[in-house]
This record gives sequence, structure tokens and C-alpha cells, in this order.
Amino acid sequence: MLTIGKVAASLQVSTDSIRFYEREGLLSPAKKSEGGYRLYTGEAVRRLNFIKHAQQCGFSLSEIRELLEIKGHDKACCNDVYRVAIEKKLRLESKIKAFKAMSQALSKLIEICSHDAKSLDACPILGALESSVTKQNARSKNPQSRRLGANP
Amino acid sequence: MSIKVEAFSSPGCGKCAHARDTLKAVVEGLGEKRVTWRDVNILEEMDYAVELGILSPPAIAIDGELVFPALPSPNRLRAELIKRVEKSR
Repeated sequence: MLTIGKVAASLQVSTDSIRFYEREGLLSPAKKSEGGYRLYTGEAVRRLNFIKHAQQCGFSLSEIRELLEIKGHDKACCNDVYRVAIEKKLRLESKIKAFKAMSQALSKLIEICSHDAKSLDACPILGALESSVTKQNARSKNPQSRRLGANP
Repeated sequence: MSIKVEAFSSPGCGKCAHARDTLKAVVEGLGEKRVTWRDVNILEEMDYAVELGILSPPAIAIDGELVFPALPSPNRLRAELIKRVEKSR
């Protein structure tokens, strides 16, 4: 049996993280010592290692919970994990697409900047962001105009 | 022009295959001239799936639009397709 400090040191995580995982229902100590200290088995250490790696791979806590449930389910098979992995990839690809669009929008804004020491009122980047916010507000007040192409 | 139904799924999903066959039969029942069916392997066309906003296969797109984020019942799919066929007349 290992104390929380030893488990934390062996996997290079903080004791606060271990307590947080416990509150989230992802991990629990095998028992508590007479003095009330948490004691963990080797299985808990393997589980914590799994959580740590999954987080490093970008899985959220709810996704890790789902993976752990699959792992602990007798009737589950690798197809269940495969499904979670595909869904994760779809979400990642979707985020990458959004980030690329944001990056392209920023490139356009950077292009219009003339690098002069102008006052903030004359900053073309802030101006462009301001005008896009105004256009967006106008569109949300009058969604019909967007469909008709009045505000491209 | 015929209505294009695209069924997105991942390979090796037995449950999806059975449900997909039932839905494919609905599409075939409406006639190839009116509605066409295409099986899409989500791993081979990931970019297209992301473009349509698919986050969890299996899913069904109609004419390039994600209409069913999860597989519908045969009756729901039939009703949706009939509505579109009548609209296109």
C-alpha cells in the first residue's frame, strides 16, 4: 500500500491532482489508514498512470471516465474504444479547422497593418475587428439581410 | 436531379452495418432516379465529415447537409426523403 505522497512522487503528479481525480470519481484509495491517510494499491497507480497519459493525449475528464468505464466493463470490446478514438479525432479535426480559419483571419488583419506608430484610434487591426463586430450585431438583429446577401 | 443520401460510418461497426442496410433499403425503395445512396468511410473522408459537422458516427447527410447526427428510424428517413422529393417537383 502506498500513501498519496508516494503515489504522487512515483508518477510526478501533485497530491492535489490525485484528490481532484478522487472528487471527480476517477480514482479512489483502497482504504484509509488508522490515522485517516489515503492508501493506494498498485492497481490505483496503474489507473492514475492511465488518466495522466490520456490527459496528455488531449482526452477530457468525461472522455477519460468513459474510457475507464469501457475498460472495466466485462462485455466491452476494443470496438468501443475505437469508437471513442474516432469521435475524439473528429472533435480534434473540427478544432484544427476552426483554428486554421482563425489563423487565416489573423493573417489578413496582420497584412493590413502598416507598422506605423499610430494612435490606437487609427489602428487598422482594432478597426477591422470593431467593424466585424458591428456587422455581426447588425446581422443578428436582421437575420433576413444575411440570407438576401445585403451584408456579405 | 436526384437527392443524394450519404451514410457516414466507421469500418468494423457491426451495429451500424445492420441499421445502415435497413436505411439503404428505404432509399432503394424510393428509386435510384429520385434518391441515391453512398456509403462513406469516415476515416477515408475525415475532412468532408468535419466540414459537415459530424462529431459522432454513424450519421446521415442529405444533399451535403448533416440532417441526422445519429441514425434515424426507417420511417423518419422515409418521411424526410418524401418531403424533399415532393419539394423538388
